Amino acid sequence: MKRVIFVFVAALTVYACSSSDDSTGTTNDGKDDFNRGELLANIADNIIIPAYEDLSAKLNNLEDEKNIFIASPSETNLVALREKWLSAYKVWQSVEMYNIGKAEEINYGFQMNIYPTTVEDIESNVSSGTYDLTHPNNNDAVGFPALDYLLNGLANTDTEIVEKYTNTTSGDGYKNYMSDVVNQMNTLTNTVLNDWKNGFRDTFVASTENTATSSFNKLANDFVYYFEKGLRANKVGIPAGVFSTEPLPTKVEAFYSNENSKDLLVAALENIKNFINGKAYNSTATGVGFADYLDYLNNITQGEDLNVAINNKIDDASAKVLTLDASLSNQVETDNVKMTEAYDALQKVVVLIKVDMLQAFSVSVDYTDADGD
Amino acid sequence: MKVNKLFASLFLTSLVFTSCSSDDNGDEVNNVVAPSTYVFEHNNESSVNFGGQTTRIKMAEEFISALLDNTRTEEELDAMFAHEEGALDFSDADLNNSDKSIRSKIAASSDYFSTNTTASIAIKENFDNWINAQVTEVFPKWDDDAVAGSAGKIQQAGGGSTRYVNGKGLEYNQAIAKSIIGGLMVDQMLNNYLSTAVLDEGTNVADNDAGILVDGKNYTNMEHKWDEAYGYLYGNEDNPALPELGKDSFLNKYVASVEADSDFTGIANDIYEAFKLGRAAIVAKDYAVRDEQAEIIREKVSTVIAVRSVYYLQSGKETLESDKAAAFHGLSEAIGFINSLRFTRDNITNSSVIDATTIDGYLETLMADNGFWDVTPATLDQISDEIAAAFGFTKEQAAN
Repeated sequence: MKRVIFVFVAALTVYACSSSDDSTGTTNDGKDDFNRGELLANIADNIIIPAYEDLSAKLNNLEDEKNIFIASPSETNLVALREKWLSAYKVWQSVEMYNIGKAEEINYGFQMNIYPTTVEDIESNVSSGTYDLTHPNNNDAVGFPALDYLLNGLANTDTEIVEKYTNTTSGDGYKNYMSDVVNQMNTLTNTVLNDWKNGFRDTFVASTENTATSSFNKLANDFVYYFEKGLRANKVGIPAGVFSTEPLPTKVEAFYSNENSKDLLVAALENIKNFINGKAYNSTATGVGFADYLDYLNNITQGEDLNVAINNKIDDASAKVLTLDASLSNQVETDNVKMTEAYDALQKVVVLIKVDMLQAFSVSVDYTDADGD
Repeated sequence: MKVNKLFASLFLTSLVFTSCSSDDNGDEVNNVVAPSTYVFEHNNESSVNFGGQTTRIKMAEEFISALLDNTRTEEELDAMFAHEEGALDFSDADLNNSDKSIRSKIAASSDYFSTNTTASIAIKENFDNWINAQVTEVFPKWDDDAVAGSAGKIQQAGGGSTRYVNGKGLEYNQAIAKSIIGGLMVDQMLNNYLSTAVLDEGTNVADNDAGILVDGKNYTNMEHKWDEAYGYLYGNEDNPALPELGKDSFLNKYVASVEADSDFTGIANDIYEAFKLGRAAIVAKDYAVRDEQAEIIREKVSTVIAVRSVYYLQSGKETLESDKAAAFHGLSEAIGFINSLRFTRDNITNSSVIDATTIDGYLETLMADNGFWDVTPATLDQISDEIAAAFGFTKEQAAN
């Protein structure tokens, strides 16, 4: 390993010293002329906006199915409603990362997928019937996790869950709350989507400079932050007990439906892989992505092939994730080592994207970890 | 490991550029000078700070004493080990008010465990299991005489100390205390705070180059990281700037023990000098000199752990026939030091000098069947020889 470093350094020494000796400005070596606008356009037009459109469609389906269930609560309609919820939840995995533009402005992510949801808050909203779903106090009582509880966690059997909605005294409270939560998710999503389609897309694509607030820098940070926090920590590390004394299996995503948590993680990792390679949403077409930018930078810096390394580590992590139980809480309780091994594989990706990739892009990390000592 | 390589290459890259530009200035002599004591200042005030390390050493002191108090519950001991801010776990109110914990920094270094939480959790759980065993196996047998296969008390010859052991003759409190030396002090020092991944993290190099202090503090981030490494060895000294050693029950004490062995005399000063020079190098922005000192510290501190591992194996062997309690006491300390070997650092491979699998093998061999009741001098010698050879000394050198 040492030898590799020394060879590398020796090469750099020659390169560095010679280029400073004849610094006539005739060479573009070391200068980053990558077309960030093309990359941003591909990501906006072929990845972000189509994902939002799909989410919006899935939430429309969810809203329709919700209306059917509320008009006629039955076990059959409950099962159908759950399917729509899960299908929208999977698409959500392709959207959560983009905390930019309108999504950032309205704290969209906080209103869609904060888990674990707080049952007491939901129940108190249901019984009082008065609530502001957009209030930060309700961030942990709305969105997909709240629906998870309302569809799967209200009671032990489907019969009993349906009874909650048909109960003559409290049934309307649950119906109204579920209805409001679904409608709110749909409204928020359309707000964000419409903003992308009516102006923000062009603003986003045009912001190619390298500043703390430029699109590319924010997107790169959103990507790394989401991977580190939303994916690695929330979905795997926290339940596995990486940040606590004991494992916390009840903190998995979709805890109440319980056998979907792995599928959501798989969907999230697939989205990561597609994103970095510039692959269009729900399509085999590929355009300019981070991978291409990294390849370009590697060409001019003679560095290691970071793009390949990142893709390999994502594949390693996916392989680990595929060995997990469909219920991640069950996995934590029966064999947590597999869970922490998956976490470790994800952490190896974090190291590459947060340190090496951002350095290659000359982008500073815009958030800090709280690791006080 | 890949991380290390990348960090190292990035770091070296910057050095190369530095050396090119200093060629232009015709100034290529490194003459960082260490001060006579570990005193560094900005604006006429000390820039040295390692309060978190001192706190953890003090917590660990109270914790290992409590392990020998058979009125303690497992809950109480767990709470001392994994303290939470405000909980009344300790006699010292400052410790209770602290947000630091021993457990959270066990096997938690950036270099060894940031992508290996699986091993980190297993190591932490081993501590948890030992605490549990002390309460459930040993405490209930506090007044019974220990025999092979059964926990109890056993007194050293000549009216000596009474030791409380499990059915294999192991004192859990000793195994825990000596494992803390590796899992907390050595790992944090060698594989975290002296690591380029931590010293050079984020904008640390640029900030240190520009003399930018951390908000509201009197040190640069890089200076502070180095001081935190220092604190894990000298943090409980009366005057940490001029350490006397023997001031805690952990690494500080055993650096003194190894120093007292004439085969290793000078090691304490080597470590101290390297800390001072490395810190001065940070002030001088000379990171090559800094990293040379880190390597010296890594080598010497690793040696301390290995010498004590062998020392206790040999001391156990000497009294195995004549004084079981004394032998068990030594061998229990040996278990902790051997367990600590996995946090040592080889400067070539950047991993532990003896690998984890081999270390686990030693521990299993020592604990096989009825453990210390059955272990043979030949086994103790063999493990001693292997450890000593890996670190380049002999068991005879370590034994006195």
